[in-house]
Amino acid sequence: MMGKRRQRLRLVGLALALALVAAACGGGDDEGGGDQQEVTAEKGGVLRTATTDFGFTNGFDPTGEYLGSAFTLYGALIRTLVSYKHIAGPPGNELFPDLATAIPEPADGGLTYTFKLKPNVKFAPPLDRAVTSKDIAYAFQRINTQPLAAQYGVYYFGVIEGMDGKAKSASEAVSGIETPDDQTITFRLTKPTGDFLYRLAMPATGAIPEEVAKCHTKAGDYGRYVVSSGPYMLQGSDQLDVSSCDAQKPISGFDPSKNMYMVRNPNYDQATDETRTNYVDGIKIDVNTNLDDIFNKVDTGALDTSFTDDAPPTLLQRYSTDQAKRNLIHVNDGDRTWYITMNWATPPFDDINVRKAVNQVMDKAGMLQAWGGNIAGEVATHIMPPNVLNGQLTAEYNPYPSEGNRGDEAKAKEFMKQSKYDTNKDGVCDGGDCSGLVMINRNVAPWTAMEPVVVESLAKIGIKVTARELASSAAYTTIQTVKNMIPIALNAGWGKDYPDPYSFAAPLFTKEALIPTGNTNYALLGLDSAKAEELGIDAPAGAQIPNVDADVNRCQEIAEAEPRTTCFVDLDKKLMEQAVPWVPYLWNKVVVITNPSVTKYEFDQFSTEMSITEMAVSNKETLS
Amino acid sequence: MWRYIVRRLLWVVLVVLIITAFTFVIFFVMPPTDPAVQFAGKNPTPEQIAEVRRQFGLDKPVWQQYVLFLKNIFTGDEYGWPGLGFSFVTRSPVKDLLFDRIWVTISLAVGAALVWLCIGIPIGIVSAIKRGSLLDRGSMLLALFFVSAPVFWLGLMALWLFWYKLGISPGTGYVPITQSFTGWLSHMILPWVVLALLYAAFYARMTRSNLIETMGQDYIRTARVKGLPEWKVILKHGVRASLTPVVTLIGLDLGALLGGAVITETVFNLQGIGQWAVNSVFQGDLPAVLAVTVIVALAVTLMNLIVDVVYAYLDPRVRYT
Repeated sequence: MMGKRRQRLRLVGLALALALVAAACGGGDDEGGGDQQEVTAEKGGVLRTATTDFGFTNGFDPTGEYLGSAFTLYGALIRTLVSYKHIAGPPGNELFPDLATAIPEPADGGLTYTFKLKPNVKFAPPLDRAVTSKDIAYAFQRINTQPLAAQYGVYYFGVIEGMDGKAKSASEAVSGIETPDDQTITFRLTKPTGDFLYRLAMPATGAIPEEVAKCHTKAGDYGRYVVSSGPYMLQGSDQLDVSSCDAQKPISGFDPSKNMYMVRNPNYDQATDETRTNYVDGIKIDVNTNLDDIFNKVDTGALDTSFTDDAPPTLLQRYSTDQAKRNLIHVNDGDRTWYITMNWATPPFDDINVRKAVNQVMDKAGMLQAWGGNIAGEVATHIMPPNVLNGQLTAEYNPYPSEGNRGDEAKAKEFMKQSKYDTNKDGVCDGGDCSGLVMINRNVAPWTAMEPVVVESLAKIGIKVTARELASSAAYTTIQTVKNMIPIALNAGWGKDYPDPYSFAAPLFTKEALIPTGNTNYALLGLDSAKAEELGIDAPAGAQIPNVDADVNRCQEIAEAEPRTTCFVDLDKKLMEQAVPWVPYLWNKVVVITNPSVTKYEFDQFSTEMSITEMAVSNKETLS
Repeated sequence: MWRYIVRRLLWVVLVVLIITAFTFVIFFVMPPTDPAVQFAGKNPTPEQIAEVRRQFGLDKPVWQQYVLFLKNIFTGDEYGWPGLGFSFVTRSPVKDLLFDRIWVTISLAVGAALVWLCIGIPIGIVSAIKRGSLLDRGSMLLALFFVSAPVFWLGLMALWLFWYKLGISPGTGYVPITQSFTGWLSHMILPWVVLALLYAAFYARMTRSNLIETMGQDYIRTARVKGLPEWKVILKHGVRASLTPVVTLIGLDLGALLGGAVITETVFNLQGIGQWAVNSVFQGDLPAVLAVTVIVALAVTLMNLIVDVVYAYLDPRVRYT
């Protein structure tokens, strides 16, 4: 999913401030959920938050929305067949039945999944009817509808029989989904898909009532009409006139540029739900463009916390150095890898020894310092974050080690000597191919702060780059357009979509992921002459670009958790040692500040944002 | 005079057409990013990108997109008149978003203009009359301070003092006048004053220098020789003539402010046109950018027209041809 924090980190050169915070926090992560305040958590009150901008990618329409903060909101509004407990750390990555009565074992060699639905789950007013298997099937029909542009539809296209994302209308049934009765739904897959259950926990697959959603036929349109099946509903949802499409007006509790207010869904039955506690009576998110104002309000108690925005470094420093306020800082794993991309089709990165040298010489500790120090994350030593690999592979695995992660110039030069670009074998890249290389970067901190560290590291082995700083979206689209042939880029990061390594492996490294625009296989792994022609570029003469498709497919067919993870661990190692697509440098943390009015803080490991159903507050406000 | 106004209105249309054409070229033909890719998600398929491009209308030739844009402005689109399309970001009609915000910006701009006129012009007049006095020097020093002070700093200081410390301001945000007049007023006073202080300083200095120059004119001496009371000489002959350039300035300033006082809106969390425009540029929300461009162009050109008409009443020498 897309992370808003990725675009919002405002560390603005105040590494010192954050380093102080790191020292003060001393690794006191919240992982595992809760702290000593938990004992005082009571139900009631309103979780009062604000954000500088919702930043939704698809108007909050669950069919296409791809933003992490939206996923945390859907956790309160939409129930899926299976779901998470919306808590921090590895326990937050475990699946539990939500709409389903139980998690089924796959049949037919992993090709068929049949779910029974709980009978007492109801949609919020004005529908007031039970959620049925047809509401789930309809959600998939929406995903399959081309005009609705489901942004992570690739997880279902070609996986569920009859789903290819090309249906003209959401009324078209999917042949691989059957609903023999209101309580039963069966999925038939085209191939064994070991992480299929995780895909069923994605918000787009949650129950959607056709009688409302059929009126919204464009991408993003349904976002202001979301009818809840969860513990909360958008305020004013009960006033939605569903007598006809013309009668439907946007629900008053959500204006994408102003606010989102949620109140309890009167039709929700806590007895049907083992994944949510639902402490607060209401959730209030106001858009406030003044970030300092948001945090002043958190500081003074007018707000309980910010929703997704990072605290200004000065405030973070103040909290970290104030004994009474330290426990109001919450630090959790972001399950996201930040990395430097290297393009296999552009010299000198078409030589694996150059790629290894770059990994070996990089001053990752310096980059982490520029990013904000230890509180901001930890040095990444391989592709997939440890949580995504269930802790089977951690930072202890480091194929390019160096003292204090400062980079090892001598070892890097040994790699460089083996490359064709070091003609005089002095460990330094020679010739025109090694200088004047365009390096794309973002034009904001912390990327700008990291840039000199990277430039200096590369210069040690003779690679001279010219940084081109662009706005975040421009930087992404520039490196995602294959024809641009960007040799190296510093702006990229990737977060898990769900806690399975496939959501890293497939979109980032397979040949299938190679597309002319919007490409995320930045290294161009799997590129051959036919694919190069399709992409409109020249395949580099003589380059043997690795292809890991077979490895990814082999891992994907394994359903059992441990061997599956082991398979992806091996893939991660293979990538780092034999393909070397990136220089992974950071696994970032999510840092949140709360007011003491928050009596229980919780983090949702799935969405990697705060967990709004599991947080409690002491205020007695109401949303009328 | 009516022929003059009609002719000027035609110029307004032409100016708006030229400005929108430039904006269209800048944002649609030479964008740093492809909006279809940007809004198709993290890991889009080519089909999804093509679908988003189709839905955004970006699959048509650029000239067709521009003609359609113009046609929709005049004849309306599926969301009504004027047709400004739908926002790529919020996926809702731009017209609704625009009209939602324009009242915030009008509240801010008009209110601030009244405040700065009420502060700036009297100070300028008094300074000119009492030229060289302690009052004059003190006023001009203050004016220099406020001209030099960045509006974001003034805003943050005002919030810190009147909200955090004294607790006499309700803080940031906007309350629609239809919801609560007192709420609207109490939320607007601080932004009005902060924005007005900058402009008031300009206006005070300008009024002062104009009035000093005017008071040295022959017709002022004539008025005095005729035996008119000094207050009448100053107000009727001096101030009236010296305000002509001020009227020009207020027309331009108000027109520009209707396009949004971005910093003031951001500091005080007033969700007006300016803040929306800036966010839209950063988010690649091209229809919103175009809509704001149209509004700013209209506001500035119409305010210029109004200024020219008002000239006739202030300066009898002005004739419309």
